[in-house]
Amino acid sequence: MKDVILLIVSAALVNNVILARFLGLCSFMGVTTRVDTALGMGAACTFVITLSAMGDWAVEQYLLVPYGLGYLRTVAFILIIASAVQLNEAIFRKFSPHLFKLLGIYLPLITTNCAVLGVCLLLVEGKYGFMDSTVFAFASSLGYSLVMVLFAGLRERVALADVPRIFAGPPIGFITASLLALAFMGFSGMSAN
Amino acid sequence: MTQLGDSFPDAGDREVTEGIARVISVDGTMVWLEPEQTTACGGCASSKVCGAEPGSRRLVARRFSLVNHDDLRVGEHVVVGVSSSTLLRASMTAYGVPLLLMLVSGVTAQKLIGGDGAAAAATLAGLVVGLGLVRLWSMRFSARGELTPHFIRRVPAPGPDGACHGLDG
Repeated sequence: MKDVILLIVSAALVNNVILARFLGLCSFMGVTTRVDTALGMGAACTFVITLSAMGDWAVEQYLLVPYGLGYLRTVAFILIIASAVQLNEAIFRKFSPHLFKLLGIYLPLITTNCAVLGVCLLLVEGKYGFMDSTVFAFASSLGYSLVMVLFAGLRERVALADVPRIFAGPPIGFITASLLALAFMGFSGMSAN
Repeated sequence: MTQLGDSFPDAGDREVTEGIARVISVDGTMVWLEPEQTTACGGCASSKVCGAEPGSRRLVARRFSLVNHDDLRVGEHVVVGVSSSTLLRASMTAYGVPLLLMLVSGVTAQKLIGGDGAAAAATLAGLVVGLGLVRLWSMRFSARGELTPHFIRRVPAPGPDGACHGLDG
C-alpha cells in the first residue's frame, strides 16, 4: 500500500502536471476565473485522464510495442483520448441525463487539453504496469484539479483586490501562478528525503 | 428533457452558481432554454469543432424547460442558477464515485490476485458498478429537482456603448 501512496503523492504534488511539468497551461489560465468552473473542468479531466490512461496502456502493451509501432504512439493516444471523451459523453447522456446537462460542457474541452496527452505519454516513459498506470494517471489529474481550484480561488480574491491598472487581468494572473509554482516547489524536497 | 420548478427550496441560505440561457421557444406555460457558454469557452476559433458554438448539437442536448411565470419571450436572455453545493455534489457523484470504485477494486484485485489482467477486469467492474450508482443517485437528485437550473432574473439588454451586462449585473 505504501508504494501506491508514494505514487499518488509523487504524481499529484511533487511532479504536479501544471506547476512542475507545465502541461495544461491553456486551461489553467482560461478556465480558472471561477472556482465552480475550475472544479467542473478538474473533475471531468480526472475522469477522462484515468480512462484514457487505461486505454493507452492496453494499446501500448498489446499493439504498439509488440508490432514495433512506437512511431504511431502520439496519433494512437490522441485517438484514444478523443474516444474516451466521446464515450464519457455518451455514457453520461444515457445514464444520467440530468448530470450531463449540468456538467457536460466541460467534456469536449478536454480533448484539446495537452495535460491529458502529456500524462499518457509520461506513463509510457515510466514503464508502469496496468494498476500503477491507472493510479499514476488518477493522481496526476487529481494534482491538476487541485491546482486549478487553488488558482481559481486566488483569482477570485485577486479580482476583488485593488490591483494597479498595469497589472490587472492576465499579468496579475501570471504573477499569482508563479507564486503558486514556487509554493509547490516545496514539495520537491519530499523526494530528496 | 426535464421540466422543473422555478425557485430554490431554500434560496436564502445557498450560494448559487449562475449561468446565462437563451429562450428558444415558448410552449404554453413552459419555456425552453438553451445554456450559453460565457465563461469558459465558446469564443475561440475551435468552437465549431468542439461543440461550444451557440446552437451546436451539444448545447441543443442540454436544453431544459422552465415554468413561464415571468412572461419570458423567445430570444430573451435570462440568468439561471444552480445551488453551488448541488454542483459540487453532482461533480463528485458523477466523476468521483466511479473513479474511486474503479481504483479501489483495481488495487484490491492487484494486491489479492496479482497480474494486470485481473486488475484490469476488476477496474472495469468497479467502473460499471460506479456508473450504476451514479445513475441511482442522479435519479434521486433529479426527483428532488436539485439538478435543474432555476430562473433568477432577466439579463438586461446591452447598453448603447455595447457594454456587457451579464452575471454580475
